[in-house]
Amino acid sequence: MIGKAFQQLRDAGVLGINNRNAEYIMRCNPRSRYPLVDNKVLTKELARQYGIPTPVLFHVIKNHGSMKNLKTMLEGIKEFVVKPASGSGGSGIILITERTEKVFLTQSGKAVALEYLGYHISDILSGIFSLQGQEDHAIIESLIHPDQVFSAVTYQGVPDVRIIVYRGVPVMAMVRLPTKDSDGKANLHRGAIGAGIKLVTGHTITAVHKSQIVTHHPDTGNPVSGLKVPHWDTMLSIAALATDMTDLCYVGVDIVIDRDRGPVLLELNARPGLAIQMANKGGLLKRLESVDAAPAEIFTTPEKRIAWAKENL
Amino acid sequence: MKRPALLLAFSLFIITAVLLLYRIFGLGYPALPVTTGKAFHFKFDGHVKSDGGSATLSIALPSERAGLIISEENFGSGSLSFNLFRKESGRYGVWTGQTDRDGEIASYRATILLRSPGTAKPGPPALNKYPPLTGKDEQAAAEKITEKIKHLPLPERIGAILELIRDAGERPSPELMLLKRMEESYDRPILLPTLFRAALVPARVVDGIRLAEGIVTKPLAWIEAWNGQAWESLSADGKETLKDQSTLLPLTYDGAPVVHVSGGGISDIRWDINRQVVGQWRYNYEHISRSERFLDRWSLFRLPTEFQQTFRILLLVPIGALLICILRNIIGFPTFGIFMPVLMALSFRNTGLVYGLSIFAGVILTGYVARRFLDRLRLLLVPRMSVLLTLVIVSFTLLALFGNKFGLRQVMAVGLLPFVILVMTIERFFVVVEEHGIRTALQTSAGSAAVAFITYLIISSETLQLTFFIYPELLLAVGALQILVGRYTGYRLSELSRFREFRSPS
Repeated sequence: MIGKAFQQLRDAGVLGINNRNAEYIMRCNPRSRYPLVDNKVLTKELARQYGIPTPVLFHVIKNHGSMKNLKTMLEGIKEFVVKPASGSGGSGIILITERTEKVFLTQSGKAVALEYLGYHISDILSGIFSLQGQEDHAIIESLIHPDQVFSAVTYQGVPDVRIIVYRGVPVMAMVRLPTKDSDGKANLHRGAIGAGIKLVTGHTITAVHKSQIVTHHPDTGNPVSGLKVPHWDTMLSIAALATDMTDLCYVGVDIVIDRDRGPVLLELNARPGLAIQMANKGGLLKRLESVDAAPAEIFTTPEKRIAWAKENL
Repeated sequence: MKRPALLLAFSLFIITAVLLLYRIFGLGYPALPVTTGKAFHFKFDGHVKSDGGSATLSIALPSERAGLIISEENFGSGSLSFNLFRKESGRYGVWTGQTDRDGEIASYRATILLRSPGTAKPGPPALNKYPPLTGKDEQAAAEKITEKIKHLPLPERIGAILELIRDAGERPSPELMLLKRMEESYDRPILLPTLFRAALVPARVVDGIRLAEGIVTKPLAWIEAWNGQAWESLSADGKETLKDQSTLLPLTYDGAPVVHVSGGGISDIRWDINRQVVGQWRYNYEHISRSERFLDRWSLFRLPTEFQQTFRILLLVPIGALLICILRNIIGFPTFGIFMPVLMALSFRNTGLVYGLSIFAGVILTGYVARRFLDRLRLLLVPRMSVLLTLVIVSFTLLALFGNKFGLRQVMAVGLLPFVILVMTIERFFVVVEEHGIRTALQTSAGSAAVAFITYLIISSETLQLTFFIYPELLLAVGALQILVGRYTGYRLSELSRFREFRSPS
């Protein structure tokens, strides 16, 4: 019975976590390249070299000593984001949308003092939010103003588009929509919903919420399928460069759409999750295998890779 | 990509199998170390009385040989002096001295451990002389009887001689009669040894004791004949072959007396044989610590006893780790940390399972509440962990004091719980509750507790401890299994539920 169930998953081309770890992440993501994606400061620098827009970096705080200048650092910045350079899963991020003389207003409307930000940065520096608990740096960068296209299916926060790239070929994509559950975070394991995207047209398909397939946003009640993702081709071009940038051949690319700047690369992920398969009602393994079977010449330029992906996946 | 790992795992399995087979068949280790070995309590008692002067009593004692171990020897000599001699025909205990009119009891006690003798083969023995009692006539008679048999191949000669004696039955040939009469008049085996000698079959007379519960007052004599490969034991009258040599305990060879007294007399001789239950550890220890074979010299039994205790447990810890591999990578059930459950299980040896698990749960719960509170204080990472550590130690101290008050030793043993692991588990528990909800946190706790429970059962199993202690190469097989789990790229059981949408074709 179990054997049959396994066979069904195999037939659907589903990528399991063991297979992802052993055959994709361990086999083709060299460990030495992880810092490029784990550290957002390095990712930003890399993106700059490839002409890919990222949120504007205001400050990097590297040690507790430099925190006494926090007040001067934040002078004249009305809205900003504080995040750990090596955070994961969206933890340790504070969005400041407004400030008065004395306090800062977070995205959820809470008023916090400068001291609070100081504590938070101090937490970041001591590694609370970093991947393995080692000391970290804090980033202060510009706030993203999300494009209104997803506002009907977003509860607070910033929706982002996750594209899985294998050997430079975009293989699967979804848009991650924050919910009340997810506390405005766009991470599926925190309760955000993920809506699969057709690679050819950039239209959303179905969505997954906590491992369940859903058709409507749980908080706004609006349908999540059939939405056209703007700047879709630009996003694909950004994604297709991920392997060239990092030498990682299995990588998740997170892009947000700023209403003024258009697609902006938020971060790269060397261990992208598997829930995207549910959002797309399709298995990843199938697509990864067809990329491996593709003719060698399609890998030469990003444009050829995107064209191949649109045609074949 | 899979091949190197599979090859490595496969070779590890092969190495394990080879070592196991060698130990079982080459060194005579028990295939199932749990079966208690055969052991007998051997007692000899005799009442010696000297004729005025000094008396000397010489008793043949059992000797160690392949598959037979003698331990815990004791000698009782009363006022006599005692010495141990080793001669070619065997080992002798010699009591000498003058006794008073009541005499003295000379006694000998030993524990005899038996097991399969392994493959060690004795070399072919030299042909012995004719029995000393036989003269020219008897030897000539024997040669006449065995004239034809002599030319058969060695292994067949034994059978042929036995057949000849049996067939003679009612009307034996005069030559046979001559030898039989001689045997009867001396009450010693003469017929068979003489015939074997005449047929050029190496043979010897053995005096010994049958290893079966009971008391005997006279040693048993039997014949051993060399069939070219090994000694075959035959009853002294040649009527039966004694198949199970392990039930025979030889004391002397070639007719040397088992009991010999000079300058006095001995009475009330008795050998008392009792079946004995010997602890498996002692049994194996006695065997291995005497052997000079390479693997035996490198056995864990050669460690000082206090270190052996540690290794009994340590050798089983990798099985716990293997369980965690299976739980996480094949079933897909989360546990806190990678080795936390194993360390928990180790500490349960001191606290017991129920107390261990409850204390663990209690301390983590307390820690969690404290951690929630600490979160508001916004302490930095390292000091925060230190505060939790202090809290854990305070809990331990209180528990130990309460345990003392209520006389609960297991609770006092709380100090042996892995407190660093506890601190980290509290932190992990908090993070999991915060990020994934209480449900996941409790699931993870249940998974950890389950692994700790099973691991505890495993490391507490005397049978497994002994098996791994005797066959430490089993660790290689455990490693091989771990490698195999490491190369398992199939779906996890939990993914059947996670990806259930894909299983119904829609």
